[in-house]
Amino acid sequence: MAVRTQTYDSAADAEVVLDIRLVAVGTWLFLGAEIFFFAAWWFAFFYLRALNNDQAWKAQGIGAPSKGYGAVVLVLALLTAGAYWVGSRTPSGTILFRLLTPVALVLGIGTCLFQGYEMWHLGFGMTDGGYPSVFSGLTGSWVVQFALATAWLGSIVTQAGPAGDTIARRKPAGSFAWILLFLALIGVINYILLYLVG
Amino acid sequence: MVVSERRLAIPNNPITGILLAIPGYFAGVWLGTLFGLNDDQNTGVILGYLLATVAFLAGVGFLNYPLERLFGWRVTPITDPAENAGVGRFFRLSLDHKVIGIQYLVTILLMLLLGGIGAMLIRTSLLVPDSTITPAGQYIALIGLHSVMMIFITSAVIVGPFGNYLVPLMIGARRMAFPRLEALSFWVVPPAAIILAAATFWGGFPTGWTGYPPLSEQAGQGMDSYIVGFALIAVALVTSGVNMLATVIGLRAPGMTWSRLPIFVWGIFTTSILGLLAAPVLAAALIMLAMDRTLNTTFYVASNGGSNYLWENLFWFFGHPEVYIFILPAFGIIMEIVPHFARKPLWGYRTGVVGLFGVALLSWFVWQHHLFVSGIAPVLRPFYMLSTELISIPTGIIFLVTLGTLWRARVWFSVPMLFCLGFLFNFLIGGISGVYLSDVPTDVTLHGSYFSMAHFHYTIMGGEIFALMAAAYYWLPKMTGKMLSPTLGRIHFWWMFIAFNSTFFPLFIVGLLNMPRRVSSYDPSLVGLNRWVTISAYLLFGSMVLFAGNLIYSWFFVSRPALANPWHARSLEWQVPTPVPARNFDRVPVVVGGPYDYGIPNARPVADLGGMVGATGGG
Repeated sequence: MAVRTQTYDSAADAEVVLDIRLVAVGTWLFLGAEIFFFAAWWFAFFYLRALNNDQAWKAQGIGAPSKGYGAVVLVLALLTAGAYWVGSRTPSGTILFRLLTPVALVLGIGTCLFQGYEMWHLGFGMTDGGYPSVFSGLTGSWVVQFALATAWLGSIVTQAGPAGDTIARRKPAGSFAWILLFLALIGVINYILLYLVG
Repeated sequence: MVVSERRLAIPNNPITGILLAIPGYFAGVWLGTLFGLNDDQNTGVILGYLLATVAFLAGVGFLNYPLERLFGWRVTPITDPAENAGVGRFFRLSLDHKVIGIQYLVTILLMLLLGGIGAMLIRTSLLVPDSTITPAGQYIALIGLHSVMMIFITSAVIVGPFGNYLVPLMIGARRMAFPRLEALSFWVVPPAAIILAAATFWGGFPTGWTGYPPLSEQAGQGMDSYIVGFALIAVALVTSGVNMLATVIGLRAPGMTWSRLPIFVWGIFTTSILGLLAAPVLAAALIMLAMDRTLNTTFYVASNGGSNYLWENLFWFFGHPEVYIFILPAFGIIMEIVPHFARKPLWGYRTGVVGLFGVALLSWFVWQHHLFVSGIAPVLRPFYMLSTELISIPTGIIFLVTLGTLWRARVWFSVPMLFCLGFLFNFLIGGISGVYLSDVPTDVTLHGSYFSMAHFHYTIMGGEIFALMAAAYYWLPKMTGKMLSPTLGRIHFWWMFIAFNSTFFPLFIVGLLNMPRRVSSYDPSLVGLNRWVTISAYLLFGSMVLFAGNLIYSWFFVSRPALANPWHARSLEWQVPTPVPARNFDRVPVVVGGPYDYGIPNARPVADLGGMVGATGGG
């Protein structure tokens, strides 16, 4: 049986290439876990909405928070992911990469702040039925993860020094774009469910 | 290769972790008291546990890397193997998969002791038919602690020590894909165990391991231990799953094709898929429960738009795959060890792999059989009954693969082989009783009785723990460099096998006689059977003490060095020296043969160990 092998300039290069591949694989596996995590919340949404126990899915007078405000948060999240995606696809050390990554960081912080503000001004209390519970839990879980991703984005910005990013430090950067994109996509689904369907 | 995490100014070790965890806990309690919505302290306790865990992990050294990255410092991990030598490495944040495997082993054995003591207390209280020894409230708390502790243990008891130690060796890798994740999957286990044990200070929790609302909503602060402890185990399952899967996908040596992968690695692989995908659902369910208890949301409050069925669905969507997280690695162990001692190729290797995947796949479609008695729509029952019965087909395939390997073999009845045979006997009983329970009328009749308890213990203790013992006697010589006494091992096997069956088989009868589980009092006519079971349980515990004695005797008193390959096995982990070198293989091996090619004329050696330099991808 033929054995597939690859040759590299040095063992260190081979390790780096291997690590990039492993991080890519690990990212996709992690996203698989994330899908199941959010799917549990979506199940809660549909299940409680369908049951409408004690007619309390939405208590009387309870409605979704401002659709416009939710859209602002969503657009910020999409811009964060988009900016980083474009930045991470440019060669390391280029102006575009150096520019877009901090922009993505600022947008990410903005997303978290805007979402946090909305969470404090929902217009309903946690005890007001199934919908407020799901809204708080799903949005809260999403924004906590987005905040952690933003913190990691901050670490990528600080690691990209004046000499430009090295391949060793760039290895998680490309795959990390998928995580931000994934979270933004989850934000889209959440928006549809919580603001339009719910 | 990174061998240890970079250290900062403070010494990073568990003592620092504990010293930071204590103020972390009180800070959390203080914050919870300050901002909590209720007077019941739940917010404070949960925040306290969470902050204590983060502080502990920081003390051990887990925040060094992310903080260094965040503040733009140069990330220069320790790469000199000399810095990762000595006994001290077992008490530090090590990134060496072999060290982590040993750390897991010791921790899990200690937890097993705690869980076992809980079982002895339960059986002691059942010596008498009334609840004079342990009052009802304490009894149910004891059941809860024993069950959750054992669930923690059995989730990790094979993947933790043996998966972490052996998978890289078996696939020809020098390391794991994500050593920090691997280390994290271990270092969250001790806090989880301590937090769970801390439930005793709050009077325990009354729900058993299933945590059903509304009881879990109304329970005291012991329930918060359940929530945080279980959530940490979910973190361990996810991190371990990502690491194991990425390792097997991306770090196989050249020539280690998927069809040459040792069957134990397939067992770990399928288990990791289940852990990776099931644990997040548990995490979400636990967050909802924590929110109900602290923020007054109503996920599980039927009178306010929620439903306790939501918990039951989410919990068992995790909980049933969890059962296969226990048993799939055990299947892997049995199918791995039997060919080596039968000196025959594994009969139906590919069929065995299909069986493992079949069990893993079907495990997602059976969860509602746990709700047969909860009032689910009757129209759903036939589907879940059939899907549950279907799972016996891939399980049977795995059984047949093992039996086919034994067919006409000249079996070497070593201690690991004895435990494998014990597994087959026990699991057959556990499996067949499971088929009965999947049937709706039988389940409705027996669900709350000791029958289902006996079934569960036959599969997990008679199955997984017997497989664990087989693995221990088989692989510990490689992991520790010391042989275990075979004489004591044989005594241990027969003692444990007889005591186990003497303990749990009568419980089928007790169950058929309608003795309910989780209740501390029973009909006086059952006292004879219960006393028999209790005495047998003491003997079973004694067999575990004998195992511990064998470890101590063999390691510290006899100290017979293990040969590199004492079983004359073909698989790759036995081709490296004992003790295993720091980098596993001097050169990445090139795999040229299968691990089970026993008795095949002109079979090639399993690998060329003087292979190529450098790293490479898949086979």
